[in-house]
Amino acid sequence: MAVPAKPPIRQMAMVFDLNKCLGCQTCTVACKTLWTDTPGMDGMWWNIVNTMPGLGTPRDVFSHGGGYKNGKPVPGRFPSQADFGEAWDFDYEAVLASGSERGEHLQPREAGGTSPKWGPNWDEDLGGGEYPNSYFFYLQQVCANCSKPACLEACPRTAIYRREEDGIILIDEERCHGYRFCAEACPYKRVYFNQKRAIAQKCISCYPRLEAGVAPACVRQCPGRVRHLDFVDNKDGHIYKLVKKWKVALPLRPDFGVEPNVYYVPPMSPLAFNEQGEFDESESRIPIDYLREMFGKGVDAALDTLQVEREKVAAGKKSELMDILIARDWNDLLGPFTGNPATIERPPARTP
Amino acid sequence: MTAATEVKLTAAEVAGLGSKPDPTAKAWAKVAGATIALRPTPLDRQPSAYVQASWKDRQHGVIPAIEARFATCGGVLHARLSWEAADPRPAITDNNVFPDACALLFPTDGKDAPLETMGSPEKPVTLWHWRAGAEAAFLGTASGLGTVDRTKSNSLAIEADWANGRWTVAFACPVNNAGFAVPNSREVRVAFAAWSGANSERAGLKSHSPAWTTLVIS
Repeated sequence: MAVPAKPPIRQMAMVFDLNKCLGCQTCTVACKTLWTDTPGMDGMWWNIVNTMPGLGTPRDVFSHGGGYKNGKPVPGRFPSQADFGEAWDFDYEAVLASGSERGEHLQPREAGGTSPKWGPNWDEDLGGGEYPNSYFFYLQQVCANCSKPACLEACPRTAIYRREEDGIILIDEERCHGYRFCAEACPYKRVYFNQKRAIAQKCISCYPRLEAGVAPACVRQCPGRVRHLDFVDNKDGHIYKLVKKWKVALPLRPDFGVEPNVYYVPPMSPLAFNEQGEFDESESRIPIDYLREMFGKGVDAALDTLQVEREKVAAGKKSELMDILIARDWNDLLGPFTGNPATIERPPARTP
Repeated sequence: MTAATEVKLTAAEVAGLGSKPDPTAKAWAKVAGATIALRPTPLDRQPSAYVQASWKDRQHGVIPAIEARFATCGGVLHARLSWEAADPRPAITDNNVFPDACALLFPTDGKDAPLETMGSPEKPVTLWHWRAGAEAAFLGTASGLGTVDRTKSNSLAIEADWANGRWTVAFACPVNNAGFAVPNSREVRVAFAAWSGANSERAGLKSHSPAWTTLVIS
């Protein structure tokens, strides 16, 4: 019987500030170009940013089961490739080499030549609510290196393991036989399946960079200074202060029972408009029940704290919390991983 | 250790099978087949609480029987397994599509090993594994549930054919490089497993023969 994952000596964690994300997908592209550019990985997005409320990636991302309820595994299902979104191709030759002046433009095409009807972040910026009270925010997802990792505990081959030095969860590709129980069991659906190699693959938290003292690509490349990184036990670090001290960084869907190590600063909502078109100070545009569903009961207190601290700064006072979230010094976001990736000795280029 | 069934299979020399596997070779008509009854593997032995929880209300091990034939030809051991598969899964074509598969299991020492646990550290088992759509045959060993260590084999070759609602899978491997020992008695033990891809069976979720069958290799 697979045994529960042994707690690591230290746990690396991230905090994503949802009030700062631009939805630019720079993090996504940084990851894609670094890790998932070989055959069989075309449709993989180890990092993805989705508009919320929305269906997410894969489609209906939080409705496929997995995780735990009352400590027991919840059966899940693994969505199809179409639900994740197929890799698209573009007819570059027709546009770039035809010499046409008729305004030919690149059009995405799926493997069968058809125009896509679904893909990652397909419902971008649609959001929820009705004008003038429409709203949305961007939700970034990577592997959350959960403290109760459903993927690891589902694998009958113990092909998934947790590193004791930083709590990062990895799939041993030599041991993986492609059974996909891990993908079913992950409630966030962050495990992908490489059909060419018949193995499961997922975000590796850029562990080779971490070992060289360099932050993961998604963290380092973020132009919005959204992502904070550190070990949870560093009491002087951003993660400890945001999660434990100020309690403004919350787990995503805590009801899934997997104790993720990626936390989110919930989005602060603008005030709603009333029927007269004036601000209604009793209502926010993002329904608080939706945020409670996404981030748990702690979201009320977290939003209150953020509001208080924001007003403190507006009144000309100092706020440690706002200083952390603003991150004036970019390196402060990176915890102990401030190394320059240009200094890393790169391995030989992979042969596809 | 697990007792063997009363059935005794023989792998007698059959001219015309050559050294490569051929599920449709005419020479197989000269070999008597034995029908091996299969049963679902016990769910409570699946080495994952998730698997147990996910399948507790769902039937697995839906392939009720498999037909087995064995022969030798010039030092090559041939095996042919055939079973009904009206709705085949010949390849992995999507995230949630699982391929049909079958396997032969042998005590690595040729004599005995605990079958219900797929071997033990002291008594490992050897498996010949075919998975539909895979580029190569897998020859592996196991020393307990969830411990299968398989490698793409250079000695074992497999060919499969699906026709008229049945899979027919032929294995061929030099006897002296089969991954298990053949005692002087020429008697070894063999067990069988099959996975229904249409029923999403994989890993330990399968049909298996719950007892060893004696195989006499000429």
